[in-house]
Amino acid sequence: MSATVKTLVNQPYKYGFVTDIEADTIPRGLSEDVIRLISAKKEEPEFMLEFRLKAFRQWQKMTEPAWSNVKYPPINYQDIIYYSAPKKKPKLNSLEEVDPTLLETFEKLGIPLSEQKRLSNVAVDAIFDSVSVATTFKEKLAEEGVIFCSISEALREYPELVQKYLGSVVPIADNYFAALNSAVFSDGSFVYVPKNTKCPMELSTYFRINSGDTGQFERTLIVAEEGSYVSYLEGCTAPMYDTNQLHAAVVELVALDNAEIKYSTVQNWYAGDENGKGGIYNFVTKRGLCQGVNSKISWTQVETGSAITWKYPSCVLVGDNSVGEFYSVALTNNMQQADTGTKMVHVGKNTRSTIVSKGISAGRSSNSYRGLVKVSPNAKGARNYSQCDSMLIGDNAHANTFPYIQVQNNTARVEHEASTSKIGEEQLFYFSQRGISAEDAVSMMISGFCKDVFNQLPMEFAVEADRLLSLKLEGSVG
Amino acid sequence: MSIQVTPDLNQVGVVSSVDTELLSLYQTQSIAVQEPELVSLLQAIRDRAAETVQQSKIPTTRDEEWRFTDLSALKSVNFQAASSSKPNLAALESLLLPEARSRLVFVNGVYAPDLSAVTLPDGIIASNLDGLPPAYHSQIKKYLAQLPGAQEVFTALNTAAIADVAIVWIPKNIVVETPIHLLFISTASNTPIVSQPRCLVVAESNSSVTLIEDYFNQMTNLEAEETEAEVGEAVYFTNAVTEIWLAENAQVNHTRIERDSPEAFHIGKTAIAQARDSRYTCTAITLGAKLSRHNLEIFQTGEQTQTILNGLTKISGNQLADTHSTLALNHPYGTSLQQHKCIVGDRAHAVFNGKIFVPKPAQQTDAAQLNRNLLLSPKARVDTKPQLEITADNVKCAHGATVSQLDDDEVFYLQSRGLNATDARNLLVNAFAAEIINQIPIPSLQQTLLKTINL
Repeated sequence: MSATVKTLVNQPYKYGFVTDIEADTIPRGLSEDVIRLISAKKEEPEFMLEFRLKAFRQWQKMTEPAWSNVKYPPINYQDIIYYSAPKKKPKLNSLEEVDPTLLETFEKLGIPLSEQKRLSNVAVDAIFDSVSVATTFKEKLAEEGVIFCSISEALREYPELVQKYLGSVVPIADNYFAALNSAVFSDGSFVYVPKNTKCPMELSTYFRINSGDTGQFERTLIVAEEGSYVSYLEGCTAPMYDTNQLHAAVVELVALDNAEIKYSTVQNWYAGDENGKGGIYNFVTKRGLCQGVNSKISWTQVETGSAITWKYPSCVLVGDNSVGEFYSVALTNNMQQADTGTKMVHVGKNTRSTIVSKGISAGRSSNSYRGLVKVSPNAKGARNYSQCDSMLIGDNAHANTFPYIQVQNNTARVEHEASTSKIGEEQLFYFSQRGISAEDAVSMMISGFCKDVFNQLPMEFAVEADRLLSLKLEGSVG
Repeated sequence: MSIQVTPDLNQVGVVSSVDTELLSLYQTQSIAVQEPELVSLLQAIRDRAAETVQQSKIPTTRDEEWRFTDLSALKSVNFQAASSSKPNLAALESLLLPEARSRLVFVNGVYAPDLSAVTLPDGIIASNLDGLPPAYHSQIKKYLAQLPGAQEVFTALNTAAIADVAIVWIPKNIVVETPIHLLFISTASNTPIVSQPRCLVVAESNSSVTLIEDYFNQMTNLEAEETEAEVGEAVYFTNAVTEIWLAENAQVNHTRIERDSPEAFHIGKTAIAQARDSRYTCTAITLGAKLSRHNLEIFQTGEQTQTILNGLTKISGNQLADTHSTLALNHPYGTSLQQHKCIVGDRAHAVFNGKIFVPKPAQQTDAAQLNRNLLLSPKARVDTKPQLEITADNVKCAHGATVSQLDDDEVFYLQSRGLNATDARNLLVNAFAAEIINQIPIPSLQQTLLKTINL
């Protein structure tokens, strides 16, 4: 590894600032009282409190899973602040009433919320610590019947919709972190697309952790009714702290007959410094249910941040002819750890799934792909294609693959291939022969390596992701 | 010779709570060797393993390594020590390979000198422990039960019950021209028996040898017509361990065939140590047993080794066949090529887990692995997990896995050429299997196996 590659990877984290804002914070720790308090603060309907308490009681009975390929010191769940919100006026009627400090923060992050500077054709829900501060383009979406709001608002305005679908894809006792999230989640986005509606714009949620000791537990629920289509994108950043913060989110997607959901993530939580001090623990449960016939759920993720990423966005393909897709780029550098992949569970007939996973590990990081392709006995004619490629930069990085393939139907066709490689001296030589610097050559090769995934992102974000990746890698090539 | 152990090899089945009955469960045979020096050596090895066993437990499906292989059926059988019944030489005739002029025969884990025949040039050793020249007595403890992975519960059980060892020892610079046949026969009886055969192969530097390790059930295959009714009764448990040491530039071509009775349990460990420039080829064929498990572990102890692993599993009925392979490459310039195929019919269940570790020192490694599964019936099941763990950056590693049924188009093509559907299918299945079977260096064995596949 020459010096150029090294300088390429070590770009400082530019979203690491802290916004100084007065916050409404509850005491540390977790108990039934805390849950009641969160629920009361959010003015939730009765069923929600029961949902939370049930989840909490389940969680107490569960033990933290230890099978993954990531290592971290034990988390003290009583030392986390479960709710923190910027102090605000009782009710916000329009964006003008949002605290200007907050608007500035999001401006700085490149997410303008004020009317004149909005990203054209992208509706944004901005979440700051535990609460949603603003949602743009609400009226325009409402004209089409699309509901896009924070989940707390949805609980107040559309309780029956939320009650019907919340926990239907990820049950409260699904896993340790999902149970914790179900008990304490503070906010998140809710999307409902009515029958035969194509959502007119990209929907986007921007998550920002600000406070130092809070955990972020957001909950996203997207329901696409028959024949509808929606594309949703989430982005995340956090300030730099020396301590680790837990982010345990749950995302549930439901696609009914002929509906399609496209869910993209550009995750850039603070990753800790080069010695692995600080950073976010990103332990997330994401699952999509293709409930209806011909439905389709597509996950695209670009994971560049977090000290530890541990998540498996999954598709349960129940409806006949339904389609699941997973496109992922996971980049780890320094001491980062990632154990990520997907689960494709084929239940219905003629279901198809595609997995394309690209892992890039640099520094002393560890990057694992763990995936499951399961074909149940009734999934006649199921088809899966998986491809996982790893690229190693430097000889201290780890790349692992753990693909599980479980087939119980002989009409299924399942293919899996994986490869590991590095940027070869010959390749670099070829570029320099043509007058291209090592740095440009590496960034070109990496964007070529990731092209299959970036092509799946909405246009604006594909450019963003490409740039993000080359920034992240700055200093590690050469 | 020291070997670095890859992290999680020894953890399986080791738990805090103590299963005190484990040792007595799989009855220990008494040491069958005369030489006092060897007796005390074996006793020491047994005692050490017994300690390990006492801290171990039979794994359950909650252990990651045994997730798809449920051993509760094995646990529920009350096994007895092997009886001393012996087949006669005539009954063995069909098993003998004309190419292999030397053979060691073990019946229910006990050496049968009258059935064995060894015609090898001077200096090459193929015998049980009693036949081992005294010069080697002191050397044996450097090799026997010294490979990593010995803590694994079934390996420890076997070690704790070592009664005798099949030994093949090839001295320096010697190329053994004819294959050596190690035949392990189980004779079925009305009581379920357990046998725990043990092999040790040492190939010194620049030597070369071809080995066939063959597990066979006498009842079902030798006198099939007369004992048809008894086939269902042939419940037994074979817990085999084979250790092979390759010194510098040695070459071993190893064929392992498991054709136990369809009601038998078979757990086998093949552990290999490969020194610099050595070449090892394993062709493992799994056909029999109700529940079989093959743990194949390769440890590289020097650079530039070459490892070729071929595997074929063909099962039907209610059989379960599990293959777990581990390739631990700790040195640079190693190459490995693994191909494992499964043909699964009826309600059978095939499991494959292939691990390849490429830590930092193993630069310039080239490792390829392919697992292909053919499902022949709607109830057949496959669980596969090719697993790569890589830290070295200047390496080429690739793996692939496929699961499918026979291609309708291919069957149709053959039918259009006048073959009936059954023949067409057989031809395709045969071709799928032949790719592995043709790797076996013994033509007569190739023929026998291809016929078995055709059934």
